Amino acid sequence: MAGMELLSDQGFRTDGRKPNELRRIRFKKGVFKQADGSAYLEQGNTKVLAAVYGPHEIRGSKGKALHDKLLINCQYSMATFSTQDRKRRPRGDRKSQEMTMHLKQTFNAVVLTELFPKVQLDIYVEVLQSDGGNYCASVNAATLALIDAGIPMKDYVIACSGSFVKDTPIVDINHLEESTAGAEIIVAVLPRFDQIVFIEMNSRLHEDHLSRVMDQVMNGCKDIFNILNQQVKDELCKKAAIDKLVDAG
Amino acid sequence: MLTNKIFIKKTRLGGVMKIVREHYLRDDISCGSMACVKNCQGLEREPLEESPDSDSSLLRKSHYIIPDTNVVLHQIDVLEDPSIKNVIILQTVLDEIRHRSAPVYKRVTEMISSSQKHFYTYCNEFNMNTYVERKPGESANDRNDRAIRKAVGWYSSHLKDAGVLVLLLTNDVENLKYALSKNLNAYTIYDYVKSLSNKTIVDRLANPLNQSISDKNKVLFAEHLGMAEIQKGIRSGKYLQGTILISRENYLEANVSIRDKDQMVFVQGLQNLNRAVNDDVVVIEILPESEWSCPSSMVLAEDEGKDEEDEENRGLNDSEKLIQNKVPRELRQPTGRVVGIVKRNWRQYCGILQPSILKERTRHLFIPAEKRIPKIRIETRQSDALASKRIIVAIDSWPRNSRYPLGHFVRCLGGVGDKDTENEVLLLEHDVPHSNFSEAVLSFLPKMPWTITEEDLKRRRDLRHLDICSVDPPGCTDIDDALHCRSLSNGNFEVGVHIADVSHFIRPGNALDQEAANRGTTVYLTDKRIDMVPDLLSSNLCSLRSGVNRFAFSVLWEMTPQADIISTDFTKSIIDSKASLTYAEAQLKIDDPNASDNLTKSLRGLNHLAKILKKKRLDNGALSLASTEVRFFVDSETNDPIDVQTKELRETNSMVEEFMLLANIAVAEKILKEFPDNALLRRHPSPPVSNFDPLIKAAASKGFKIDVSSGKGLADSLDKAVVPENPYFNTMLRIMTTRCMMQAVYFCSGMLQPMDYLHYGLATPIYTHFTSPIRRYSDIIAHRLLAVSIGADASYPELLEKTKIQSLCNNLNYRHKMAQYAGRASVNLHTHLFFKTRVQDEQGHVLFVRKNALQILIPKYGLEGTVFLNDEGQKTSSLFVYDEEMNTQTAGNVTIHVFDPVIVQLSIDRSNVQHMKLSLKLVKPEIPGFSVPSVKDTSTLSTQEPVGKSAQKKRKMM
Amino acid sequence: MADVDLSEPEKVYILHSVQENLREDGRGCEDFRHMEVETGLISNTNGSARVRLASTDVLVGIKVQLTPVDPKKPNVGRIEFFLDCSANATPAFEGRGGEGLASEITAMLTRSYSCFSAIDYTSLCLLPGQQCWLLYIDILLLECGGNLFDAVSIAVKAALFNLRIPNVTMTKDEGGIELDVSDDPFDFKRLDVSGAPVIVTVNKIGHQHVVDASEKEEACSLAKVMLGITEKGTVTAMKKEGSGSLDSESISEMIESAKNVGIELNKCLLNILKEEEAKIEEPVGFLR
Repeated sequence: MAGMELLSDQGFRTDGRKPNELRRIRFKKGVFKQADGSAYLEQGNTKVLAAVYGPHEIRGSKGKALHDKLLINCQYSMATFSTQDRKRRPRGDRKSQEMTMHLKQTFNAVVLTELFPKVQLDIYVEVLQSDGGNYCASVNAATLALIDAGIPMKDYVIACSGSFVKDTPIVDINHLEESTAGAEIIVAVLPRFDQIVFIEMNSRLHEDHLSRVMDQVMNGCKDIFNILNQQVKDELCKKAAIDKLVDAG
Repeated sequence: MLTNKIFIKKTRLGGVMKIVREHYLRDDISCGSMACVKNCQGLEREPLEESPDSDSSLLRKSHYIIPDTNVVLHQIDVLEDPSIKNVIILQTVLDEIRHRSAPVYKRVTEMISSSQKHFYTYCNEFNMNTYVERKPGESANDRNDRAIRKAVGWYSSHLKDAGVLVLLLTNDVENLKYALSKNLNAYTIYDYVKSLSNKTIVDRLANPLNQSISDKNKVLFAEHLGMAEIQKGIRSGKYLQGTILISRENYLEANVSIRDKDQMVFVQGLQNLNRAVNDDVVVIEILPESEWSCPSSMVLAEDEGKDEEDEENRGLNDSEKLIQNKVPRELRQPTGRVVGIVKRNWRQYCGILQPSILKERTRHLFIPAEKRIPKIRIETRQSDALASKRIIVAIDSWPRNSRYPLGHFVRCLGGVGDKDTENEVLLLEHDVPHSNFSEAVLSFLPKMPWTITEEDLKRRRDLRHLDICSVDPPGCTDIDDALHCRSLSNGNFEVGVHIADVSHFIRPGNALDQEAANRGTTVYLTDKRIDMVPDLLSSNLCSLRSGVNRFAFSVLWEMTPQADIISTDFTKSIIDSKASLTYAEAQLKIDDPNASDNLTKSLRGLNHLAKILKKKRLDNGALSLASTEVRFFVDSETNDPIDVQTKELRETNSMVEEFMLLANIAVAEKILKEFPDNALLRRHPSPPVSNFDPLIKAAASKGFKIDVSSGKGLADSLDKAVVPENPYFNTMLRIMTTRCMMQAVYFCSGMLQPMDYLHYGLATPIYTHFTSPIRRYSDIIAHRLLAVSIGADASYPELLEKTKIQSLCNNLNYRHKMAQYAGRASVNLHTHLFFKTRVQDEQGHVLFVRKNALQILIPKYGLEGTVFLNDEGQKTSSLFVYDEEMNTQTAGNVTIHVFDPVIVQLSIDRSNVQHMKLSLKLVKPEIPGFSVPSVKDTSTLSTQEPVGKSAQKKRKMM
Repeated sequence: MADVDLSEPEKVYILHSVQENLREDGRGCEDFRHMEVETGLISNTNGSARVRLASTDVLVGIKVQLTPVDPKKPNVGRIEFFLDCSANATPAFEGRGGEGLASEITAMLTRSYSCFSAIDYTSLCLLPGQQCWLLYIDILLLECGGNLFDAVSIAVKAALFNLRIPNVTMTKDEGGIELDVSDDPFDFKRLDVSGAPVIVTVNKIGHQHVVDASEKEEACSLAKVMLGITEKGTVTAMKKEGSGSLDSESISEMIESAKNVGIELNKCLLNILKEEEAKIEEPVGFLR
């Protein structure tokens, strides 16, 4: 039974993480000038750029407008060089269309859409390098871009993935784990409300194990939230301090 | 937590993939030593002892050993010696071993989990202090060696104040040199082992790999091709790759089963075999057609006795330069020669030391018990002690200048002829895992006293009020099935099959489960049972004994009196068996006209329904095939067999069998429906028509036509083939039919098309094994699948993955085959012990007529033996004339046909200590100059107490 | 391309300033804006680079693949350009909105690189008549701040400079020749990019010729000429765009100006790339 051992007897995953450990997260808000909000985020080797435009007038046919709330428009796209095997086209395939739908659903649940009737908000996500957890990184990056754009939201939306190996739940799975382990669970939550806005599971996992994996993934979301929130706050304080200085000066 | 990356590139179909994987480096990995004074976040109890005593004369201080990859790979026998303790296995080493040798990996992990060995795995690759990056131009191997040295260096400084040294053991000259230059303690494994006070361990050292070929010894074999050349050759079609299967009859002949092709290539002669050992994956080149040959049906046994002395200088002597080119053109088969070895599949071999005349010599020849393995040259200083002992030897290498492979002594099993030793040999030779269950495995057993909790009761249907009983052979302690039957108010019957709920106790993935999965099956030897699961489960908690509450997995049917199924229900249950009966006891109850208790009624109901079910099944084309099963009566004192009998079959045997089949089929249908892709099923492919040729020919000689176009036709024509004056004729036909069959195998449903699920023998489109989870792992999987289907238990990822299930099936198929072989070998062993003191005349029948022999079946013992027509040295071959067309042998006015009754004399041929043979001599018909006179049974008339020690398990398994 | 709304007085102001050799941001006519180049930031590609020219942002990733040679050109390797206009740059690029621009840019790139001396195509051929390397040069346009063609071409050249092609060992046997790609990440060869062109776009604004026009300047320009220029000043491609017309004299002036700028640009780029390579830190990319 050679092949990959996703969890060693010593309790380490193939990349040296323990089952409950996240990959390194690094991010930066405001990477673009022209967009209303933007963010770049890395979770391990998964690297994502998100940009937000709006709220602005409905582009194209006015019929799309919603009379009582904001129309959220998303596009998920992957650079042709982002995957191990080169992709033939960046979007339009079934998988990216599905991702687009998922993003739309996720952010409709968190943006205060009723504040902006009859207008549109664009959320664009570009995956630059893909190493598992593309949806999660996209959601987390888009959240940061929305914060950068100053769009009113109920809370952060944080997404995290998990799987189940050797009777152990593992969190924030990379590409290797995605492709070799059994079931994959993806969850997006509102961390401060403990609410789940998106959940997806592929392949079969017994419900007795589900709660264990879910617990682990929810913890993962909490951890990601703390990392993002801490840095966002720090930056804000720093900026406020500088502004104060400027004002004083 | 630091982070870093490694880069690997891989190619695939022209595409070049650059694979990037993250690699996190940590600072929280413990050194695993009790002596550690740096307080590195370890456990309470670390595996490495605080101050282990040094046994080495090289350094008298306490020390830990760090072996490099090759030392672990090649000297695993040394590491397994109980005197070697406190070893650090580096992650680098463990990873390499995982890739290079699965058996060694398993043995290492076993040592790591043992609390006696004090082995510790140090994850050096994840530690920021010991991780090394590959340098430009550095090979992967060099990098790993450097990583090992780095870890040794880290340990040295880490434990400097702890009073324990670490030393690197390596056989690589470069590695040793670098290590010494870095002031590390490093030795070769040879120097280290030789410095130990325990001197016998030296024998376990494997030979150094690259012994230079001294020119004094002439080169005997052609060089093996390198891997690159092999791959090129295979791609161009010049060479073929396959597994070599040495002939059992002639160790100088072999067939290579070509990979991915349904083709066999013949290889003949020592030179052409070119050091390939049975089971190796080899690369061959097809010889020009003019050099093609065919198997010599002559039996060529290694001639002993002549030349022990000059073995040393013996080259390829003439007897091995084979009879060539005398092969008639029409018999020639594609023939090839071995040009390279892709993978050695060497294992450990049982055998004996060949007595050497010069006692003080340390180099000896070892004769393996397996005839397909060549003799092995070993070095030992204990040849006197090992003389008449069964020993185990491993092969290390086979240099070009050596007539025999070189190996080393592993351990001694015991005296030749000693029954325990012989059993051990038998188990080892059939690769039956039989060591005691490890601590890790036992730790997953339920704690005694075991009680049933409220929680358990809530989740199970309570069937304790039912009159359930089990029916098994006498002496059976692992009862995995029980039955009941009761009338319902609507005139129908409720029938229940209750199977031990083993999967309740064996949880997926733990050490107990892994061990059971590896063993695959309980192995039944004539006087011994090698359990798949520990005794506490097999004979106690899982065994459905009478008078105790037991957990079961029940299949319940409602059936009409015509045995039509109205409904099927599966449930986890708790039962209380009312009686553990033997087949005979159950039969007595059924037949006793005065008995009318509930249990008897239940049995009668079952019996009634079973008969209908059986008829339906046979009408459907199921085969009823014969095989003979033997039962030994064993002397309670000596454990030697006193008498043998073929087993008697009663109605009750068939009754139990019917319901087991029914349950298995019901479960198969249920789990396939729920898991179309990953159900574990059992199939029995319909044999190709050509398989039946010998059967058709044999039956035709008696004027019967066998219809092999369908299972049904076959069953019917077998039923019709009856010769009144030879009642055994039909049985023999059925035995022959059995030989024409394919092997039934386990498989994963997602790997085949539904039409291939067929079970030919049982004439059912789908089948699985559910009813014997105590002794078969396949049944445990079926239980788990069924439990998930009915929501009684949780699934787990491995259960849902079809490739995992299939690889499990492959192991189970292998284990089952080996268990069968081992069982047969055990019967043979006992037969030999039985006839050790006897010479007996017995009635037999001719089963096959061969070119130089007759295959005789002796119904009384269920034995088969061979009467050689041209016996050792006697020039009697001319006496017989073989008629291939008629399949007869004629000597003078006597002609012998298939099925002819004969009388043969049985005795034991003891000319070869390792291979005692049952020898058959013809008594009748009398053929002057060949047959022997009849003898009075000279056997000592011992009191034939049927001790009934047979552990041979009940029903035959389809 | 992104819309820039410019009022008439603004246009007049820009036009007049340029006339005086005074551009809105204070540059001269042959000056480039601030530019950042970084290579090797997408680790699963064989070569990658990001160029940020003012607010124009381009990311290039190159993946290599073994492929049969083009039977018409049996001795050379192949390159293929693909450009995707990310919607991150502007909502107008959403869906297939950027395809027109993308094909314009790739066409210009293909033309510039079709010159035989641009890169050593023969070194990309492994087995004449049989196997060669195919370089997939995938470009992602992330933000548009003017002068896209130039920025893209600079990023492509930087990525080619960064490209590490695994070494291949060839073994002959009767079944043909077998190619084995080295699995050692350090066993690679580099591509000589000294002949690789960059694109220099010269915009005609009023009577002046300016390079590296900002979006606003582009909105004021009626005609421009794009040229592929190598380090030696060789012109490998040329194309005129825009609604206005040009006389032959101003075209030769524009070529001259493009050559000067191009030679300088190529030199600077190579220096920066070499400097950057000497650094040990891992690339910062978008985290800067």
